[in-house]
Amino acid sequence: MDKKLPESKVIVVTSGKGGVGKTTTVANVSSALARVGYKVAVLDLDIGLKKLDLLLGLENRVIYDIVQVIEGEIELKKAMVKDKRFPCLHMLPAAQTRNKADITPEQVKDVCEQLRPDYDFIFIDCPAGIEQGFQNAIAAADQAIVVTNPEISAVRDADRIIGMLLSAQFDDDDIGLVVNRLRPEMVKDGNMLSIDDLVEHLSIDLLGVIPEDKNVVISTNKGEPIILNEKSAAAAALNNIAMRISGKEVEIPTFQEESVLQKLKTFGRKFFSTM
Amino acid sequence: MFELIKRLFQSEPTSRNQANERLRVVLTHDRMNVSSEVINQLKTEIIQVIARHFDIDGTPEVNVVSEGRNAALDINIPIKGR
Repeated sequence: MDKKLPESKVIVVTSGKGGVGKTTTVANVSSALARVGYKVAVLDLDIGLKKLDLLLGLENRVIYDIVQVIEGEIELKKAMVKDKRFPCLHMLPAAQTRNKADITPEQVKDVCEQLRPDYDFIFIDCPAGIEQGFQNAIAAADQAIVVTNPEISAVRDADRIIGMLLSAQFDDDDIGLVVNRLRPEMVKDGNMLSIDDLVEHLSIDLLGVIPEDKNVVISTNKGEPIILNEKSAAAAALNNIAMRISGKEVEIPTFQEESVLQKLKTFGRKFFSTM
Repeated sequence: MFELIKRLFQSEPTSRNQANERLRVVLTHDRMNVSSEVINQLKTEIIQVIARHFDIDGTPEVNVVSEGRNAALDINIPIKGR
C-alpha cells in the first residue's frame, strides 16, 4: 500500500513526567490513523524501559531493535515489526538491554529521514525525563504532542517540557496539548483542574481530552488498542485526536458543562455580590 | 435549612482553586528560573532603593505578573508629593 500524503510528518509524544499516558496515546493514535489507511511508523525511543510493544500487543513479534539498526547490524526495513490487525502500522522496537546514551539525536534523525518516503506519519514515543533520551526523541520531529494529567505535578513537568521544546526547533503552532485521565465529575465538584485551567497555565493549543476510563486498563491487559472498543469514551477521544492530526476539523469534547450544584453556587455568588 | 443554603452559596476555596493558585506561582518562578525567596528579596531591595530617593506614600507593591508564557515585574510605588 502506498502512502497518502505528499509530505510525511514526524511527531514526538512527550510529557516530562512518567506514567501520564504517552505510550497509550502513541499506540492508539497511530493505530487509529493506520486503521483509516495512513501509513504509520512508530518508534519506541524509551531504550531500556520499553513498553510500546506491550501496548500494541506485539511483544512476541519483536526480533530486532533500533540500536541494532543504528549500529548497522540489521537493515531498517527488516527491523520494522508489522501489525497484522493494521497492515499500515509498523513499529521499530526499543532495545531493552541498552541505554539512552547508546544512540544520538543525529542517528535518530537519520532513521526518520530513511522512513519519510514510505510513511505518512512517524510517531516517536519519548521516554520520561529531560535528559539524553528526551533530546534523542525530539531531534527529528516536526511537531510535538505534550501529554499531561489534570494534576499539579504533571502540569509543572509539562510546562518545563514546553519551555524546552520552544527553545529547540518548535514554534507554538507545532505543539499540541493532550489532557489524559480527566474526571469530569471531579472538575464539576471543584476538585480537579479543568481543561480551561490547563490551557491557561500552559498557553498551548489543545489537541484532545481523554477521560478516565477503566476500559484502557482492560485493553492494555489484553494487548489490544483501545480504539477498537466502540463503547469506550477514551477510545472516542483517541480517535478524535487521530482525526485532528490527519487534518480533519472535528470539535474537541472537553466535558466541562457545569453541574446543577455548580450552577447554583455560581448563581449564588453572582447574586450576593450584586447586593 | 438556613445553614445548608448558606453553605451552598459560600465561596470556600476549592482544591481546584488551590491547585490553580499554587501552579500560577510555581510556573511563573520556574519559567523565570528563580525561587520565591529571590523574588521576595528583590521586592524588598527595589523598595529600599526607591525609599532612599523618595518618600514613599502608602503601600508599595512589587509583583510578578504573567501573560501567556511571558512574565513581567509590575512595580507600583506611590511617591509623596510636595
